[in-house]
Amino acid sequence: MDLAVETHKLTRDFGSLRAVDGIDLAVPTGSFFGFLGPNGAGKSTTIKCLTGLLRPSSGSMKILGIDPLADPVAVKRRIGVVPEDLALFERLTALETLTFVAEVHGLDDGVARERADDLLELMDLKSAASALVVDFSHGMRKKLSLAAALLPAPRLLFLDEPFEGIDAVASRQIKDLLHSFVARGGTIFLTSHILEIVERLSTHIGVIANGRLVAQGPIEALRAGAAGSKSLEELFISLVGGDSRAPVALDWI
Amino acid sequence: MTAAAGTWRVLRAFAWMRWRVLMNSLDRTGARDTLERFSLAIEQIGPMIAFGLLVPSSVGLAAIAAYAGYWLPSSDRVLTFDALRFLLLAASALSIVGPILMPSLERTSSIRLLLLPIPRRTLYVAQAATALSDPWILLAIPVVAALPIGAALGGALSVAAIALAAGVLLLLLLVGLSALSTLVLHLAVRDRRRGEWLALILMMLPMLFILPGMLEASRNREQRMADRAAAAERRERGEASFAERAIQIGKLTYRLAPSELFAAAARAPASAPSGIAAAAPPLVGLAIAGALVHGLGLLAFGRLLDSPGAIARRQSAGSEERRVLRIPGLSRASAAVAQAHVRLATRTPRGRSILFVPLFVFTMIAIVMSRRGGLDPELAGLTGGLQLGAFGSAICLLSILPFAVNQFAIDRAGLTLEMLAPIATRDFLIGKAIGSALIAGGPSLLCLPIAYALFRDGPIALWLSIPPALLAAYALTAPADAAISAIFPRHVDLNSIGSGSNAHGVAGLLGLLSFAGAMLPTVLIAAISIGIFRRPIFTLVLMLAWCGVALVIGGILFHPVAVLFDKRKENLGMVASVGTKN
Repeated sequence: MDLAVETHKLTRDFGSLRAVDGIDLAVPTGSFFGFLGPNGAGKSTTIKCLTGLLRPSSGSMKILGIDPLADPVAVKRRIGVVPEDLALFERLTALETLTFVAEVHGLDDGVARERADDLLELMDLKSAASALVVDFSHGMRKKLSLAAALLPAPRLLFLDEPFEGIDAVASRQIKDLLHSFVARGGTIFLTSHILEIVERLSTHIGVIANGRLVAQGPIEALRAGAAGSKSLEELFISLVGGDSRAPVALDWI
Repeated sequence: MTAAAGTWRVLRAFAWMRWRVLMNSLDRTGARDTLERFSLAIEQIGPMIAFGLLVPSSVGLAAIAAYAGYWLPSSDRVLTFDALRFLLLAASALSIVGPILMPSLERTSSIRLLLLPIPRRTLYVAQAATALSDPWILLAIPVVAALPIGAALGGALSVAAIALAAGVLLLLLLVGLSALSTLVLHLAVRDRRRGEWLALILMMLPMLFILPGMLEASRNREQRMADRAAAAERRERGEASFAERAIQIGKLTYRLAPSELFAAAARAPASAPSGIAAAAPPLVGLAIAGALVHGLGLLAFGRLLDSPGAIARRQSAGSEERRVLRIPGLSRASAAVAQAHVRLATRTPRGRSILFVPLFVFTMIAIVMSRRGGLDPELAGLTGGLQLGAFGSAICLLSILPFAVNQFAIDRAGLTLEMLAPIATRDFLIGKAIGSALIAGGPSLLCLPIAYALFRDGPIALWLSIPPALLAAYALTAPADAAISAIFPRHVDLNSIGSGSNAHGVAGLLGLLSFAGAMLPTVLIAAISIGIFRRPIFTLVLMLAWCGVALVIGGILFHPVAVLFDKRKENLGMVASVGTKN
């Protein structure tokens, strides 16, 4: 199987805290991979390691067949990222942000302009193209960050909570866009707390809890393997041990 | 629960919350490695030393105030009392100016406050009470508390009672002034654009204050003597000039200053023939001023709560044309980094101040020098246009320091975008260096033709040797600044008027030293070539040669700096994007 993301014993420590604990990820090329986990499970740390923002404490990884530690620039040429902090200059306009991305990726001027126009149109940011990012709402920033990730036409997209704070209309458009991206052979690695979205979009999922990968594979296969689990929510809760917690009764409410 | 008890609980809760915020900021710094712990520890040394000095200062001031209070009833004038008067005058001024220059964190997080089940008046009292932790008010408290104690110990109970009442009213007024100043500032800066321009004006204001003095000093002796004679004639005729009228108004305003009203009330029983009754007008004045200031403060607070969010008018920053910077010999990626850096400087108050302030200083000195006929050894040894041009260019280059020694963290979340970009670290660093050079280079080079046009002195070869001299110094400073920025990053707000936009203290100091070190060879070459060879053309040739060598050295130095940057990348990313997470 051709893998877009492959890690072996990937570990990341922050002092005494082990945020990612020896995970072996295998994300098939052309898949829509939903990476799930409770708060603080290690999702964002994993994405940061895979995109070169954090250096793993140990273990190895390959992104699109390239070792990002050995050749980070080659990996960055092929991926697009919407990170946790959205990675936007507050004092650039939307168009300038996209121009910056086009320049660092060495896109031709004509191609860059055409793609920027298309993306601004798609994200409904055309009227705000010459406004500074500092004046944007959270949703607009997220859409611009996604546009910046898509502009160089990457083969692999890392999206950290891309639908949080996005309105329903834009959310629908973005989902369609991501579907067509995967249909054309692209790979998406997405984290989200909204299980319905992951269930609807993903072909594969990985579940991380306390820094450890507790399950991964095609979504249908995982569902079939977990007896009694009907929805992704039930599957997720059983995998992360949420059903073993005693319910807390707040009688005073 | 009574209203007073409820207010007291709210005040206690706010005091506890602020205490925990302070302690948590000291205990839980979030440092990720030893270097960052060191960097944060150094940043905290200043406030800790200030706090350490505050305790003995307060004790000392209390002792002086008690001494002054003890002698107050028996003497018309006590020197110590006058010294305390001026200290309170400074506290009064700082209560207005302080919140503008040193905006406290969390003082007006009004959106959060709106969610609390607390009446507006109580909220206002809780917000205003935070001014009691301002250092100038903390230093005023022992003075106004110990003065009546001293008077009581001296047996003058009526004087003590008046001084106590005046002290309480003075503190209430100072707290009100501080709160009002903070609230008005917050109202003004709610609109981002208006706030940015206001910040720039406030940064330039100190320069404007010294301008009249410099212009006055720039006039020759004969002109000044003639003006004085004319003023004396006008006085004889009973006419007052504009300046004299301004001085009279200033004196009246001074008499109405909170500290002067306090002093007048405290001293009234001893100095006025009417005794205690003479204290009534200043006490009433303090009370009316306090009520007025707090009333206005409450109004401003209500206005802020009615629409607490920042007004973000989405305004265009330019046309929708793609404007791309291309520099021959520089990769497109490096040029894009440089362009983003320049845009950051031109679109933030701190960045604009870097562009305008040195030019403003240069212009003022140029005006003074030209009015004096070009010779002014009193002005930092500037004796002609050549020196003025070199001085102006150098201060423009130096003014880039707050940006250059914090060049990564100032990008905030934009730094993540740069780190995700397919660009080699060295190209990225060079892009940053070119960006800083473009920011400083424009004003720096502008100084030379202005100085030349004004004075037209000195050999042309010496004028031409200034740009390569500055370029050589910059070539050596740029890698050092990048290294300093990687080691001592500081999360900053470039909209801030005060210290919030400053680079790390150690970074600033090291940057200054590196600039001085980089300038040294240039100064030596100039001194030797002018002093020994006495041939300006030699200076130009030597400076061009040194510039070439410095560029090569600078280029080589970027290699180890790139290694250092890669090692510090994670910390930089985390420091830069504090508070910008989803």
